[in-house]
Amino acid sequence: MSNDHKVIGKSIPRLDARSKVLGEARYADDLSLPGMLYVKVVRSPHPNARIRSIDTSRARNYPGVISVLTAQDIPGEKLMGPIIKDQPVLCGEAVGYVGDAVALVGAETEQAAEEALELIKVDYEILAPVLDPFKAMEPGAPQVHSGGNIGTHSKVRRGDMEAAFRDATVVVEKRFFYPRVEHAYMEPEVAVVAPDPGGGFTVWSSTQYAHLDREEVSRVLGLPQSRVRVHQMMTGGGFGGKINPHAQCLAALIAWKAGRPAKLRYSREESLISSYKCHPFVMDMKLGANREGKLLALEATLVGNTGAYLLQGKAVITKSATHVSGPYYIPNIKADAYAVFTNCVPCGAMRGYGVPQVTFALESLMDELTGRLGLDPIELRMRNALDTTLPNATGQVMGASVPIKEMLGKAKLTVQSLKPLLQQAPAKGKLRAVGVGCSTRGIGSIRKPSRSTAVVSLHPDGSATVACGHVDLGQGSDTMMAQVAAEELGVDVDRVNVVTNDTAISPDCESTSASRVTYLSGNAVRLAAAKARQRVLEIAAGDLGCAPEELRLMNGSVVYREQGVTLAGLFSKHTFHSVTSVAEFLPDTVPPDPETGQGRPAGTYNFNVHVALVEVDEGTGQIRILRYLALTDVGHMINPLIVEGQVHGGMMMGLGSALMEEVKVENGVTNTSFATYLIPTTFDVPQELLIGVVEEPEPTGPFGAKGFAEGSLDPVGATIANAVSKAIGVRVTRLPMTSERIHELLSQR
Amino acid sequence: MNITHNIRVIINGQTREISVAPNETLQDLLRYRLGLVGTKSGCETGDCGACTVIVDGKAVNSCLVLAVESNGSSVTTIEGISSNGELHPLQQAFIDHGAVQCGFCTPGMILAAKSLLDEDPNANEKDIRLALAGNLCRCTGYVSILKAVAAAGKTLRGGK
Repeated sequence: MSNDHKVIGKSIPRLDARSKVLGEARYADDLSLPGMLYVKVVRSPHPNARIRSIDTSRARNYPGVISVLTAQDIPGEKLMGPIIKDQPVLCGEAVGYVGDAVALVGAETEQAAEEALELIKVDYEILAPVLDPFKAMEPGAPQVHSGGNIGTHSKVRRGDMEAAFRDATVVVEKRFFYPRVEHAYMEPEVAVVAPDPGGGFTVWSSTQYAHLDREEVSRVLGLPQSRVRVHQMMTGGGFGGKINPHAQCLAALIAWKAGRPAKLRYSREESLISSYKCHPFVMDMKLGANREGKLLALEATLVGNTGAYLLQGKAVITKSATHVSGPYYIPNIKADAYAVFTNCVPCGAMRGYGVPQVTFALESLMDELTGRLGLDPIELRMRNALDTTLPNATGQVMGASVPIKEMLGKAKLTVQSLKPLLQQAPAKGKLRAVGVGCSTRGIGSIRKPSRSTAVVSLHPDGSATVACGHVDLGQGSDTMMAQVAAEELGVDVDRVNVVTNDTAISPDCESTSASRVTYLSGNAVRLAAAKARQRVLEIAAGDLGCAPEELRLMNGSVVYREQGVTLAGLFSKHTFHSVTSVAEFLPDTVPPDPETGQGRPAGTYNFNVHVALVEVDEGTGQIRILRYLALTDVGHMINPLIVEGQVHGGMMMGLGSALMEEVKVENGVTNTSFATYLIPTTFDVPQELLIGVVEEPEPTGPFGAKGFAEGSLDPVGATIANAVSKAIGVRVTRLPMTSERIHELLSQR
Repeated sequence: MNITHNIRVIINGQTREISVAPNETLQDLLRYRLGLVGTKSGCETGDCGACTVIVDGKAVNSCLVLAVESNGSSVTTIEGISSNGELHPLQQAFIDHGAVQCGFCTPGMILAAKSLLDEDPNANEKDIRLALAGNLCRCTGYVSILKAVAAAGKTLRGGK
């Protein structure tokens, strides 16, 4: 791999940063169209009820109201969802959680729409809800759906469990709890939809997957997908939470019914109550090792509360099961992961996607083992870490780019360097300790192979347009795609325009999720750009009577022995206006077998090792992170500034679920504002937060790169919990570690 | 039937006479009536800071201020801090340090930081954390934002 790249590996500031600091970037709510109506949603106040009737007559006659809609008015499909389409667009017969959508109002002003909501009378037959997943699995429990309350069951089966646990010298076993977490994107859901003169519809939305908006809006309106065009507006964060175009479908229904543009923007409260969350997990895990600390067997039962609908629940559960053994080789594994229906707020995709949950449980048990075996935590992990010859839980052997041992070596040095701080007598009533946590994750979809497509057009002035469907939600992927194309085409980054946000131009590449964009679309863009370049070089070589290999592309010219031929001249001579190439990338994967979980589900894997030094106040239970090191493995960095930003952001989001975040449900969500759902602020940033990037190129990645953006969240809960457990001398088994909870654990000592 | 009040406000240096409803917030006036949509709306309860603007030198959540209350005041929004395409040092520092990701908190962050640095160009790291504690960001983990504000402070002090 050549290291003399011109733009790859450079900290180029994101291309949209200037428009964002000037306040010029346009988000969906910044858009206003002539004649635009405002949409408001009637939502269920009950977790479980049948709808006897809905009386909309008074709302229809309210001044300013143009349209009122219920389920029976929907012209197309009545159910929607990102993977499993099991959520009613509007509930017709029953509601499944507090916040389920029941009716819509479209009015001339937002105020009129809001006031008319009060006039819609829904007659509910209130039924007993089931909120706890274990109660939901009991016989006789209220049935959330007719097919039973177990929405999905994912398995891993390998080896002989009985024999392995018999051979184990030490067995540790505990139940762990991971909280329901809110994405807390700063921009709530927004969609604007307008009818087109030709009979189609245009959508402007805040979205993580513009093509899914297209698919769902077309299904709900009963139109071909080709008649719906979606413009992803600048999107104010997603983190997995904007892959369900519910607001888009609801706005589209009013636009369709009224024949006028319509805007729906959720209030923060509405977003917190109704949008899907990260799955809370209850995990029973049992881990056995021999005297030397070699892991022999892992048994796990993972129960995820998916709420009223499955959405992506099946895929999240599969990801958790297939990642149950973390970055370690464990020969014998039995894992059963369930998504259980309840009448809670639905859960779906969130940064981490089932991996932070199992990482918390496994890494906690790893530390329990160290105590029993008298081994250093890093040494135990080193003895079991994967390498290029050992299989993970799915039986997949990664032949390259498995730097976990190198990372553990670096972590060991950090732990040693923290010794003086640790030994330094802390203030009275303060307890200090260091904790370590490791994780791994497959990049891209685990449940099925997924391909990315890119179209690259090289223009006669040397500039280029890249069309690819993975939208940028703020993480910086458009900038990285521009870098990949610029490198291949020999132009400056600002001469490349990346179009990912228009379904009429950008090919569908599945959602921006699963840390997949750099790896999948990076490859597709690189291949398409290389193809365009090759085509141009071949044409020029024909003219010059040389081999294409003797030529290179630079700033709009083909260069041959210090002499340049302009693309403009070359294109004109050969009747080209632009040269356009298409390429696809599909990693070589095999989905996990439904009975055993065995397969080769990911094209590449990312590894993380984190170290935390914490201080716990014995009196209050309050935790302070004094030092934090996040080591991440990215293959090869395309843009160090963007890598750093992703690791900082992922780490701090993980810190939120470790220390303070939990969506509480009592019938419905009870923390309905950022005053009661607390996320980290500037005060929560550790005094010293260090990042270490390990670069071991991924042979199948673009310029050796691979995905990593979720990985920086995965081990945070585990790492902090291991440090806190050591500090207080009691094993933490439940996140978040609020002061109250730690205080309670301290009193149990 | 609708009662309105006439107010006079200086917005980004321009004096405006506007008639506002008694329940209209400054945020809504700026965003939905004056088209200054660089001011973001993230919660409308004063918890997230995305709608931060500067009123008479102080950073405020514009969702918590009624438009009528701004009568006689001078309001600065994100649209008003660069001049003729020349970025304010804070804007440049946010770009250079990777302090911008999704960008939704960015205008509010920059204005909260500007209000701090205008008042105290020597603000230290602790002051910066305190001044930005009411501005939530979910993308950056704040690290690069804190760095950017410190760097901008240095530039403003002439220590470029």
